[in-house]
Amino acid sequence: MLTRTSVVNHIRLNIASFSSTLEFGDISFYQAFSRALAVQREKKIFFGGEGSFDQYPIFSEPIPIPPITESINIMYHQIKPVIKVKNLDITAVSASSLLQVGSTRHIYAETRIKHIRQLENHSEELNNQTIIPLEEIHSSPGTAIVNGR
Amino acid sequence: MNFQVYNRELAVGDIKIIGVSSSSVCIVGDVQTIQLASTFDTPAESLIIGPFVPLFPKG
Repeated sequence: MLTRTSVVNHIRLNIASFSSTLEFGDISFYQAFSRALAVQREKKIFFGGEGSFDQYPIFSEPIPIPPITESINIMYHQIKPVIKVKNLDITAVSASSLLQVGSTRHIYAETRIKHIRQLENHSEELNNQTIIPLEEIHSSPGTAIVNGR
Repeated sequence: MNFQVYNRELAVGDIKIIGVSSSSVCIVGDVQTIQLASTFDTPAESLIIGPFVPLFPKG
């Protein structure tokens, strides 16, 4: 395949993280894999050595991807065999992503993320609060409502 | 299938991107095949309200 030449005058990338790549030039195969347990805790508590990927089926379930079987006859007419970009400004690439200046034959990337939120139990605090009916608030406008008082 | 491609002039001024994430690509060039997969799981049972217990330890 006759590929074009890529020309980028100025490039700016701040962050490349979690199995991401910044590539200059041609490659024939790119494969990236990234998995994450995204835990949000209400309090700043960090336990060491926790989190097991095999506890969650999302990290092992098969991802159905249509196979590339169809053969297509492609004719390329490179009238101007160059791709020009004056300015490329990217803040961040993350989680099996690719930023490339150049050509590639095949790309395969996979990301699996499990998101877990751990919150504190606030039900007792809610019980101590005086709940003012909505009609009461509407009937006396200008009343300041301070948390349950 | 027969497919004809005429690559004429391609010149871009400025590209500004905030983020490329979760199996995404940004390419200045030619590609033959791309296969990208991304899964994200945040079901109702992943919201845990109560005392902070550590996740199952690493195997």
